[in-house]
Amino acid sequence: MIGNLGQKAAGWIVNVAIAMTALRTNLMRSILTTLGVMIGVFAVTLAVAVGSGAQVSVMQSINALGSNMALVFPQPDTGEGGRRSFDRGRLTMRDARAIEKQISGISDIAPQLRSNIQLVVAGRNASTNAVGATPGYGKVSNLVAESGRFITEADVRSAARVVVLGPTVARKLFGDFDPVGETIRINRAPFSVIGITESKGSSFGNDNDDIALMPISTMRQRFSGDTLAGPDDLQMLFVGFEDGVSLPQAKREMTKLLRERYRVRGKDINPFTIRTTEEFMKESAQVTGIFQIVLVAIASISLLVGGIGIMNIMLVSVTERTREIGLRMALGAKRSDIRNQFLVEAAVLCVIGGAMGLIFAIAGGTALTVYADFPVPIGVGVGVGAIIFSAFIGLLFGGYPAVRASRLSPIEALRSE
Amino acid sequence: MPAEIHKTMALVETQDLVKNYELGGETVRAVDGVSLSIDRGEYVAIMGASGSGKSTFMNMIGCLDIPTSGDVRIDGIATSDRDGDALAELRNQKIGFVFQQFNLLARTTALDNVAVPLIYAGLGGEERRAKAQAKLEEMGLGDRLDHSPAKLSGGQQQRVAIARALVTEPVILLADEPTGALDSKTSEDIMQIFQTLNDQGITIIVVTHEAEIANHARRRIEFRDGKVIEDIAVKKRRKVDP
Repeated sequence: MIGNLGQKAAGWIVNVAIAMTALRTNLMRSILTTLGVMIGVFAVTLAVAVGSGAQVSVMQSINALGSNMALVFPQPDTGEGGRRSFDRGRLTMRDARAIEKQISGISDIAPQLRSNIQLVVAGRNASTNAVGATPGYGKVSNLVAESGRFITEADVRSAARVVVLGPTVARKLFGDFDPVGETIRINRAPFSVIGITESKGSSFGNDNDDIALMPISTMRQRFSGDTLAGPDDLQMLFVGFEDGVSLPQAKREMTKLLRERYRVRGKDINPFTIRTTEEFMKESAQVTGIFQIVLVAIASISLLVGGIGIMNIMLVSVTERTREIGLRMALGAKRSDIRNQFLVEAAVLCVIGGAMGLIFAIAGGTALTVYADFPVPIGVGVGVGAIIFSAFIGLLFGGYPAVRASRLSPIEALRSE
Repeated sequence: MPAEIHKTMALVETQDLVKNYELGGETVRAVDGVSLSIDRGEYVAIMGASGSGKSTFMNMIGCLDIPTSGDVRIDGIATSDRDGDALAELRNQKIGFVFQQFNLLARTTALDNVAVPLIYAGLGGEERRAKAQAKLEEMGLGDRLDHSPAKLSGGQQQRVAIARALVTEPVILLADEPTGALDSKTSEDIMQIFQTLNDQGITIIVVTHEAEIANHARRRIEFRDGKVIEDIAVKKRRKVDP
């Protein structure tokens, strides 16, 4: 049994040796054919890596948002159809308090207003998206002050003219100088800078650090009166949940509560929309999944072309070496011996191409990671997969020529010129 | 054991052997009902003009070509019910081939060329090299082991081919015009080797159209139009002067 296995292994080693001789004999042709597989494996490997990189990056963005939370915003939820009973979306501070009081498992809520503001200091100015927030905002969205402090209850109560800047805004206005304690003007009113947030990087191409935070009461008084119908209205509510809380369950409860508060009946459209981070993750996973499939599909075309190149060259090789095949048969080669000889030759071509493609893919992935700040993980699994896959391509596209060679009649093969 | 019985039987035996070819819509009968037997240790020359069917006959007894009808028995083994792989095994174990054009693998050393049949016999690398080297040394090519065919003369190439044919210790040596590509001096050398091998007990069947070559054999079988027209012992056997 073991002797038999040893014999088989020896047979394969002989086939590899025969293949190497044959490939060396037509070196230029072998290199060009390998190139096709190399490009194909390079493209597919990189596509897989870019796809999973996108997945990683999207998940990081969602985690940056806060891992276990719901977003409520005053936009009619048209998702399910039905009669529209409100002319516009509804969400108020009173709704937020009701949610906090009546829904279980909530760790914090972060009611918000949003407005675009202009910041000026010493002739420099910056425009940014400002959030009118409460202390809960920092907790729900995992945002802490890197220097100085965050907004407090006292700031909200007194509608203090204080602002916490994101790193990007701080850099635009103050360069590398720490601005905590400085005074800046926002729409002509003086504000003190009380803190700088830690960096949250960027997600979906948005700079998360291009932000300014002020107490919600301050923003309500000074900036957003014209966009809102009621003095109690909110533009956004983050609801953070404790670990282990079922988000779909919490969403159902919140929906029920808000529908009761707005007396939405039957299939009528809700004047609010609730989305959970879990939903974002699922949708993003779907989108990036499709993105990856499309990428890999396009890349696979080049691998297919490479494979056809293999088949083409193997057919040529079989035709050129018909006499050799006949001779080997006369000397006792079985069909399987001939078939394996050409299969191994195709597989060797493909594995060499695949290994080179993998090397280039790793180089390309590293370049993307370093220069484009986009994670392109090529793990051991992808590497091994690429090599096995190239061998498989060899067997697939080398299979037909190899089987054709093995079916030749010994005497006709011997007689061929 | 059947093998014991077979020893007393003919080494090559054909029964009503027929081979037809379809050529331009016409059926050409290349071999037309040939029945003959060749015993162990014989030295047979198969002669005939081109198209006489001698090569087709030889391809069938070499198990390279499948008869249209009739049967070939090699060393008592019927071949008609054997599939391609079983025939390959039979060729590997029982028959050594020598071709007119030598049919050596280019860019492959003499040693590796001779070792090819042993690959298909399932031998390991060490054993293959040892046996191939021994055969090449027997053929007087011990100093040419690493030479590729391109670096060998025609006679040397044919001796490599003979070493390859003999490396599996076959019972029959089939040679198809073995001297067809060689000058007369080298041809004599090859014929001398054949004679020595036959003296050692190897059964030799040579296909040739040259009477001079045929005269080295002990028995001459002449083909015409697919039939045996003459099957005689060679009276004035030519002996090569050592």
